[in-house]
Amino acid sequence: MDVVGEMAKIQIKDRLQLGLAVLSAKAVTFGVRSLKLGAASVLPGEIARRLQPQLLQLLSRQVKQGVILIAGTNGKTTTSLLLRTMLERQGKRVAHNATGANLENGLISALLANTNLVGTLDVDYAILEVDENVVPRVLAAIEPKIILCLNLFRDQLDRYGEVDAISQRWSKAIATLPPDTIIIPNADDPTLSYLGQQLPQKVLFFGLSEPEQYLEEIPHAVDSIYCPNCGHSLDYKGVYLSHLGDFHCPNCGFHKAPVAINSQEYPQILIGLYNKYNTLAAVLAAQQLGVDEATIRDTINNFQAAFGRAEELHVNGKHVRILLSKNPVGMNETIRAVNQVRQQTPSAQLAPVLFVLNDRIPDGTDVSWIWDVDTEKLVAQGGTFIVSGDRVYDMALRLRYSQPEDNSLQLIVKEDLREAIATALEHTPRDRTLHILPTYSAMLEVREILTGRKIL
Amino acid sequence: MNQEQIELTIGWLYPTLMSTYGDRGNVICLQKRCEWRGYTVKILPLDENATAADFQRVDIIVGGGAQDRQQEIVMRDLQGTKAAALRERIDSGTPGVFTCGAPQLLGHYYEPALGQRIEGLGLFDFVSVHPGANARRCIGNLVVEVTAQRLAQELAAICGSPTYLIGFENHGGRTKLGQVEPLGRVVQGLGNNGEDGTEGAFYQNAIATYSHGPLLPKNPFVADWLIQTALRQKYQAPIVLKPLEDPFATQARQAMFQRLRINVPTG
Repeated sequence: MDVVGEMAKIQIKDRLQLGLAVLSAKAVTFGVRSLKLGAASVLPGEIARRLQPQLLQLLSRQVKQGVILIAGTNGKTTTSLLLRTMLERQGKRVAHNATGANLENGLISALLANTNLVGTLDVDYAILEVDENVVPRVLAAIEPKIILCLNLFRDQLDRYGEVDAISQRWSKAIATLPPDTIIIPNADDPTLSYLGQQLPQKVLFFGLSEPEQYLEEIPHAVDSIYCPNCGHSLDYKGVYLSHLGDFHCPNCGFHKAPVAINSQEYPQILIGLYNKYNTLAAVLAAQQLGVDEATIRDTINNFQAAFGRAEELHVNGKHVRILLSKNPVGMNETIRAVNQVRQQTPSAQLAPVLFVLNDRIPDGTDVSWIWDVDTEKLVAQGGTFIVSGDRVYDMALRLRYSQPEDNSLQLIVKEDLREAIATALEHTPRDRTLHILPTYSAMLEVREILTGRKIL
Repeated sequence: MNQEQIELTIGWLYPTLMSTYGDRGNVICLQKRCEWRGYTVKILPLDENATAADFQRVDIIVGGGAQDRQQEIVMRDLQGTKAAALRERIDSGTPGVFTCGAPQLLGHYYEPALGQRIEGLGLFDFVSVHPGANARRCIGNLVVEVTAQRLAQELAAICGSPTYLIGFENHGGRTKLGQVEPLGRVVQGLGNNGEDGTEGAFYQNAIATYSHGPLLPKNPFVADWLIQTALRQKYQAPIVLKPLEDPFATQARQAMFQRLRINVPTG
């Protein structure tokens, strides 16, 4: 048989397997949803992948105008939602793993949700949030049009080990992609700035140009204050959050890469400086995909939070804000944002803050990281703090050790989450905001209790 | 001795390089438990900017974990007179707690997954080897019965006997002990190497353990033992510590013992 015939045969075989895999996955999705077992964001993809191991490749190739990968420790969901909204407002059809299922089976499930029964995918773009650890495996299957590298913080070390190792693996995997791939790394993150400066592809950096936002001191939970090029201590003109800032190496001259976007031209979405980074990354990607500037700005000005990410709810006439807090950097930034809100309030009328700490697989099973969080900064203001979750006493212990001598802190411990939420709402004045800081699985539970329905 | 005149200096080994996962919790715990008793506490970073004289000034030493690259930077810096001063302090009985990666510095050497062997100070008679990037990390909740003889006796005097430590381990390296006494026996988890049932090591008044981060907040009697030992060393007179209430630590411990279905005498 000639080579062309051989290839055609493989393609037909692939095609058949693809169809079979897609059909099975659709059946599973239908079953899971009919039985109200969940949103079917993982299982269909997993089953289909076993039936057709190259499924991710076969599906992603059908995306008409390209795949956008979004990687990083914090901010993937908000950035994705922002970019997706911009594209949809331009009339584009977008596939997106919106529930945060960001391993291979979750990516496949998201693509499958947009295919017809024979496996034909009808979308212009796919926005795929990718867990930092599976980036190399995903890049072996997908040639994305754009990769956003948001940040690298230590998170879930119980699963992944160390930040340095992850960035090296990303760098290797990205270097093999075609030269017209667009890479959008965070210039303020030394590891990613370095990664971008080494790549042969088109690289556009984003970062902040707002010295007035510098922190007064470098927080404890920093990972990367050493030069990724030579190992010398980096000098910082200023730090925006964690190890993100305006840095240079006094030894080898390595420094923050020049940015392709002026952060001062774009407004703040939601609360928290980290959302400025998410905005800039989404804007750069949207510009590269030809979204017009009016649509970009309109989307930013009218943006609604993704579930649990500074999401605002009204419950029994009380205002609630849910701020997913799953690692030290994320929680430190959340605390900074909450403090900014609380500082506008006389201490007698402070609304309480509710912490919900779980240690299930999606949260990371190790809760030691709470000792890296500057809870002292939140507790210093006084007020009522309520704790709950699987590791409620570990959280209470952390707050106890955060308490200054003359502090009028009121600490309420509630093992039962429903009781904890009810107590927190009771303590919240009508014109104040209750801030809830949950880990991932805790956030899903909190939302279910507050809204009466599941998202996943 | 007047309690208000008591002053302790906590030496913190390389706070920015060696604090990977909650290790600061041990420093916070020691500091607060001193302050709650009215003692004056100073935290002295023992890092690139410290001198050998700084190493000689500390009453308690705390060391946490580091990523492999950071560990190398530390070992490059910790040479000569600084290393000699640290060795002298530990040899002469300055109490210390070395968690996660810090013990590897005190052993003979550590062989990381990638790169060259990192020589340690050789104070503790053990070696640590990473079995390779694809080997499983030792991860999970850790419960250890303290068996190091003198430490077990002194802890029992503080909290009742026998003493169980509760923590979390997360390490790639495996440690093999030589002549040094293990800290304890693994009840839950993997410990030094997942094979011989030992966890950590105890030498003079220095505790080495893979239980990282908030070891002391979760085991406050160990924090109090460190403080008491430091006071005895410094003031050459026994000072009785005022007992503190630890309801959350007790409840956090009980919750974890229950979850792991481990029956231990509570204390």
